Amino acid sequence: MMDELELLKQDWQKRDREMPRLTFDEIHRMIWKKSSSVVRWIFYISIIEFIVPHLLYLLPSFRSGMNYDVAGSLGIRVPLIVLTVIQYGVAVYFILQFYKRYREISVLDSAGKLMNRIIRTRKTVRNYVVFCLSMILVFFGVFIWGMVLSDDLIEALHLHPNGQVDPDRLKWVVVGIMSVAGIVFTAVMGGIYFLLYGLLTRKLYRNYKELRRMEN
Amino acid sequence: MTKELEHQFVSELEANQNIVHKVCSLYTDNREAHNDLFQEITIQLWKAYPKFRGDSKFSTWMYRVALNTAITLYRKSRKQPKTQAFDTVLYKVKAEEYDPTQERQLNLMYSAIRELGDIDKALVFLYLEDKNYSEISDTLGISEVNARVKMSRIKTKLRTILNP
Repeated sequence: MMDELELLKQDWQKRDREMPRLTFDEIHRMIWKKSSSVVRWIFYISIIEFIVPHLLYLLPSFRSGMNYDVAGSLGIRVPLIVLTVIQYGVAVYFILQFYKRYREISVLDSAGKLMNRIIRTRKTVRNYVVFCLSMILVFFGVFIWGMVLSDDLIEALHLHPNGQVDPDRLKWVVVGIMSVAGIVFTAVMGGIYFLLYGLLTRKLYRNYKELRRMEN
Repeated sequence: MTKELEHQFVSELEANQNIVHKVCSLYTDNREAHNDLFQEITIQLWKAYPKFRGDSKFSTWMYRVALNTAITLYRKSRKQPKTQAFDTVLYKVKAEEYDPTQERQLNLMYSAIRELGDIDKALVFLYLEDKNYSEISDTLGISEVNARVKMSRIKTKLRTILNP
């Protein structure tokens, strides 16, 4: 009995002439189109991730909230400066790392190696985002800490409460709002990120796991 | 210089475009997706072309880039409407050698292959293209032994489909 697979192989090789044929010009036009590959999107998203937190400082409310005047009256100017220096230092380190990883990716590697590299790049970006999210939490934390220790919060924040408000009560309300805002903001940013990467690399991850399983 | 390189690349791809079309036909199930993947593979090939030094045949190099794109980089979601339009083109019956049983068997096998995972598909594709296990293992980055084991499992699976 002839092997069915041999039959299939023969048939497959005969199919050449049934395939579509593109002309030179059609192919030529294609090489200048934009790639929509996963790697390219990971690259775009990471750039956006780096820029977006900086855009937030352009919002007037955010800037005034973070300004050194308030920080000074809360007595947290020094920790804020230290944190900012650390943040930029680590960010630069991550950008360099990320660029290095990105350059390593080559379609000429075997499929397994290529996937490995993309997943490593993804991990680098993920670590960067986890770091950014932690920094947001730490910044909020420092502010809350400053508020709790502040003797006159109303004065420090330049609040002008109408009528008689118990300063102690107001203090805890503001601290509460800041805590909730900090957590919600971080959670939303984290959620967006995981959703984006999860969707983008779902297929890749599945294939990667399949290859790994074959190796074990 | 760039113009020259461009011309050289497009000519080579034009001559070998069948390889890319075959990859596309396995990994997509309608004409639009087929063209989309073809375009993405072309872009990846062009991007990698300056690194192609001619130490292997142009076609061998194409297999790798095309499969890498299909199983790794290609982003199109799988939620495509399952149209039959393209399949009829692919599974066109050849009048001169029409054999109902054989044709039915082949169609069954082709549809079974289309149901396989991305990696398994790549394996079958390379097998059908008459690549040896050393080339298969090299392209996918798994050991030769694993490629053999995996392939023999797929064969068994396909046979069961044919002879239930």
